[in-house]
Amino acid sequence: MQKINELNVLWHIWEFNAGEFPNKDAIVFWKAGETPIRITYKTLLEKANKYSIALKKQGVKAGDVCAILMRHHPDFYPIYLGVVGIGALPAVLAYPNPRLHPDKFRQGIEGMSQRSGLDWILTERSLENILQPILNSKENSIRGTYYPLEFESYEDEKLQKEITLYRQSIINTNPVLLQHSSGTTGLQKPVVLSNQAIINHVVHYGNSINLTESDKVVSWLPLYHDMGLIAAFHIPLAFGITSIQIDPFEWVLAPRLLLDAITIEKATITLLPNFAFNILADKISDKELKGVSLNSMRLFINCSEPVRFQSFEKFKNKFIQYELNPDSLTASYAMAETTFAVSQSLFPNGCKTLNVDKDKFTKGIIEIVDDPAGSKTLVSSGKIISGCQVRIVDEKRNDLSENLIGEIAIKSVSMFDGYRNYPEKTSEVLEDGWYFSGDLGFVVNDELYVIGRKKDLIIVAGKNIYPEDVEDIISNIPGVIPGRVVALGEEDESLGTEIVSIIAETKIEDEKEKAKLRLDIVRKGMQNDLNISRIYLVPPRWLIKSSAGKPSRKANKERISNINQ
Amino acid sequence: MISDEFRSVILKELNLDDFEINDETTADQVPGWDSLNHLNVILAIENAFKIELSSYDIIKCNNIGELYNLVQSKLEE
Repeated sequence: MQKINELNVLWHIWEFNAGEFPNKDAIVFWKAGETPIRITYKTLLEKANKYSIALKKQGVKAGDVCAILMRHHPDFYPIYLGVVGIGALPAVLAYPNPRLHPDKFRQGIEGMSQRSGLDWILTERSLENILQPILNSKENSIRGTYYPLEFESYEDEKLQKEITLYRQSIINTNPVLLQHSSGTTGLQKPVVLSNQAIINHVVHYGNSINLTESDKVVSWLPLYHDMGLIAAFHIPLAFGITSIQIDPFEWVLAPRLLLDAITIEKATITLLPNFAFNILADKISDKELKGVSLNSMRLFINCSEPVRFQSFEKFKNKFIQYELNPDSLTASYAMAETTFAVSQSLFPNGCKTLNVDKDKFTKGIIEIVDDPAGSKTLVSSGKIISGCQVRIVDEKRNDLSENLIGEIAIKSVSMFDGYRNYPEKTSEVLEDGWYFSGDLGFVVNDELYVIGRKKDLIIVAGKNIYPEDVEDIISNIPGVIPGRVVALGEEDESLGTEIVSIIAETKIEDEKEKAKLRLDIVRKGMQNDLNISRIYLVPPRWLIKSSAGKPSRKANKERISNINQ
Repeated sequence: MISDEFRSVILKELNLDDFEINDETTADQVPGWDSLNHLNVILAIENAFKIELSSYDIIKCNNIGELYNLVQSKLEE
């Protein structure tokens, strides 16, 4: 840790690690059914340097934003480091899945580019045709596309000298990366983080989880997500430990990949959104689990969506026979704006739980009860980590007492400096150095409990979905009365996450026609990378309006929930 | 060619009354067959045909026809 603080610049830390542990695995690249590819610290830095030269040769300059749009590939990592090595900012974007309509994908990239000021796209040849219309458009900032996997020329003495000189001049306040926090389509909020913010986080979060040189982090998380990028990639790399990387697309098809990687690589730490605990517990047969051992694991960190007590229980029950240490189940509360974590369950005590009165809880009051019957069991997201402070505030941002639920506000040494090119959004959420998260929670005995969002937001498997995006899409389908749609999240207990449901008004009465409309709605959702799991078709004037005259999500959710009961 | 039984297990799991699927159909073309539902579809197939499939074998399947062939090969074991 001391060396990390002394060096204080990510590139210098990576170089130090490559010199100190040249043959240690930096990245172990996993692919189902294949021998893992091991990339040592020395190889990673040498390759990164080659990409730095090649990118500079192409005209990429310090301060340029380079969107990286690639599938799981062993060269992703040196490319990413190569971008940082010339002072450009890498911004990892989600690779389009085959369901997503190309127009929708382009719309997302265009929106991001207008806001974030993307300069270059580093991608694969297979996306060339899809991306071409964006390059022809004058409505965005993108200057060109490069295909780094096809670069041939890496040698250039003059450029190498320039790059070396540049690297010597980096200071810790220099920005190092850009990541996108959630937002409605095309309005994702760009968060730029400095060397200082990330390094502070490595030190403080590392301390909170007792990170040591023998730890190994294993992850299937996508790197466009802060949990994947910061917790499972940047932190291990700065700390000089191994990060085992699994393809997110493969993991959802074969969740046992994570368990195989833990067993074979003797991993010690992994981070998962809540739904993944349900998937691992429920969707893998015992036959597939033969030979699995979790005895190397120190920490399973539940993060990115509200932690469900039942998910931990079923995971514990399933994997205790595979040498799971129940105390390794922990939780964290994190966000891109504070680099990553705000709180973390303390090792080695596992997660704290609390039984609260159910009725009072729905009114925003916390009353702890001893008898679990008729109560709600909540799982703590842990203690506030060092370098962070938390307040719980009301609508006017006044502090609330310990027994009340309110908005979580955070101050952190790893705080972002504001959203890039988005001052109006920045001033909405930042005040006197405090970041107002929009998340609801409370603190009891120094433990932070996160219970949901202030605004309507649907969190499906760790992915944030804005109801207004869904409503816009569905409103345009013939048969649905325009503007008379409500999208909401409904709890799916078996999955341990929310599902997207819609209530739509229609004049159609014929059942066959209604079945066709349902199919059209599901298809339209798929083209927008959305799975609409439940569709309630209702007659005209069914939806309850808010005082503003728009269909109220809250009132209609209650109405549909009463009918379902 | 995929059997009617195989087709109906998939459609039932995805709550689809009627949807045309054939050997060349891929999961992303079937309404509701997303990454979260994928494992439910596989479990439904395993239960209906009383077999266990290896997820690493399933990953290699490029379309529904190949998934059906994998099921057939298990049934013949």
